[in-house]
Amino acid sequence: MNHRGFTAVGVALLLYVFALVAWVPLGPGLVEVMADEQGQTQVIAHGTHFASSPDQLRIFAGTQDRLFPLAFEVVNDHRLLLRPEWPDTLHKRSLDLYVQSPIDGTLSLGNAFFVESAVLVPTHRYAPVDVLDGSNQLGFHFPFQPQIFETIRNLMLHVPMWFTMFFLMGISFAQSIRHLGAKTLGLADERAVTSAQTGLFFGVIGLVTGSLWARFTWGDWWVASDPQLNGALVTVLVYAGYLVLRAAVDDPVLRARISAVFNLFAFVLLIILLMIFPRFNESLHPGKGGNPGFNTYDLDSSLRVVFYPAVIGWILLGMGMYRLRLRMESLSRRINRLEP
Amino acid sequence: MPAPRAFSFQRVAFLVQHTLRVEFRQGHALIGLLLFALSSVYAAFQSVGDDAGAESWNALIWIVLIFTAFNAMARPHADDRPENRQYLTHIVRPLEWMLARTLYHWALMTVLAALVFAAFSLFLGTDHLVGGRGWWLFAGLELAGWALASCLTLLAAIAALAGAGFGLTAVMGLPLIVPIVLVATRFGNDLLSGLSGEETVENLLFLGALAGGITAFGLVLFPYLWRD
Repeated sequence: MNHRGFTAVGVALLLYVFALVAWVPLGPGLVEVMADEQGQTQVIAHGTHFASSPDQLRIFAGTQDRLFPLAFEVVNDHRLLLRPEWPDTLHKRSLDLYVQSPIDGTLSLGNAFFVESAVLVPTHRYAPVDVLDGSNQLGFHFPFQPQIFETIRNLMLHVPMWFTMFFLMGISFAQSIRHLGAKTLGLADERAVTSAQTGLFFGVIGLVTGSLWARFTWGDWWVASDPQLNGALVTVLVYAGYLVLRAAVDDPVLRARISAVFNLFAFVLLIILLMIFPRFNESLHPGKGGNPGFNTYDLDSSLRVVFYPAVIGWILLGMGMYRLRLRMESLSRRINRLEP
Repeated sequence: MPAPRAFSFQRVAFLVQHTLRVEFRQGHALIGLLLFALSSVYAAFQSVGDDAGAESWNALIWIVLIFTAFNAMARPHADDRPENRQYLTHIVRPLEWMLARTLYHWALMTVLAALVFAAFSLFLGTDHLVGGRGWWLFAGLELAGWALASCLTLLAAIAALAGAGFGLTAVMGLPLIVPIVLVATRFGNDLLSGLSGEETVENLLFLGALAGGITAFGLVLFPYLWRD
């Protein structure tokens, strides 16, 4: 397949991905519990349909298996007014909030309340409550995640950049090995540098989209001491160093050889930095605490049908760009041969 | 005349001896390194005073170690002149040359890390090194020094072959030493913030593994650079 084939399939997949990213709504969820100016307790929600079936709503406080109902009033689709009358005896002071509705299913907000006024009896049980089954009647939607909210759409942009970069750097690594194995200056060196350049491009976009995402979820453009941020930045710097090294040598045979050695050395250190290090460090990234990749719980089926095509689409687009650059190089070599 | 066929430790020992002899004959190179290390420590001391907190103590000692290492490894050796290299390719195997250079740099780093540690203890005080932590930190400095030496030896060889100097080694090297720096600073931070050496020993082992792994990788890759 030539560069047009890769690019065409990649762009087709990405069109599908962007269409879904733009049109699929975010699922319902509870944002926060707050006291308003009159001292009343309000529940703020997102994407919910409280007003369409106010009589069938059920609100509970407690923890998973020990719940008690709360009195409430529906203000509008996204807002509830609570009138909590706390029991005299509680099994725990910090309580979760559960909202059940036939349309939105079961929604929960962890540690929504902290009650100081009750007597604490850890073994205490409440009167049994009547709980709906948790399913909802909503169409296709992206999952609601606390803190992340609508920015979950960035998943299709940010994460595939690193997959694509790794794929292209892997090509570069393999071509550098091939070059060192071969005796003469063949195409391997050109492939190694071209794929590294294309990969670097994806790495820079990955950093930019990551920084934007961090700003709106973690509250800052850059977070110190997150192992994956370190790793990503270092990757970009190392491959920039690779290009500087190539620019410093004029003799093409020597340049090919020493940059191939540097490329192998750099790739192995990157594997240490990006694959091994994050397992020993705390990270803000999803799937933290040992696993730098994705946690199975973070990706639900609605994300999968968009995320996997996005990964494949970006990788194919990257391949297309890489092939296009190779073709450009070989054409300019032909022009140089013809010119004198 | 082709290069010798079999690997010989005698030639490695000779190369180390030779490098040492050349360095001592030049004199100013080694003295310059010691002076650089001492004056960096003194500059650090002037910037924080003699009651540095644990965090600044830790940050500064690793920064000084990194810059000392760069200064020691990235400078041009007398052996790196093209005509010398041309001659050496006929009388030694590349692996022997790389092993000799790495061993020499390890020895140099052992001395420099000890000097940095001694100067730090003298100027910035040992308030944070109670209960045998000094020995642990010293071990960490030596291991980090060896890991840096191995990494920078290969990069300096690449830069020398490219005909570029210190600048290129820094551009290639500073990102690549990040893994070493991360483990080393975490180790120092653990120690100085009150953990005992046994509690953070996995960082020390990690530093050792990095030093060993990088050395092995450099030895495997270097012969490809040397080929004509």
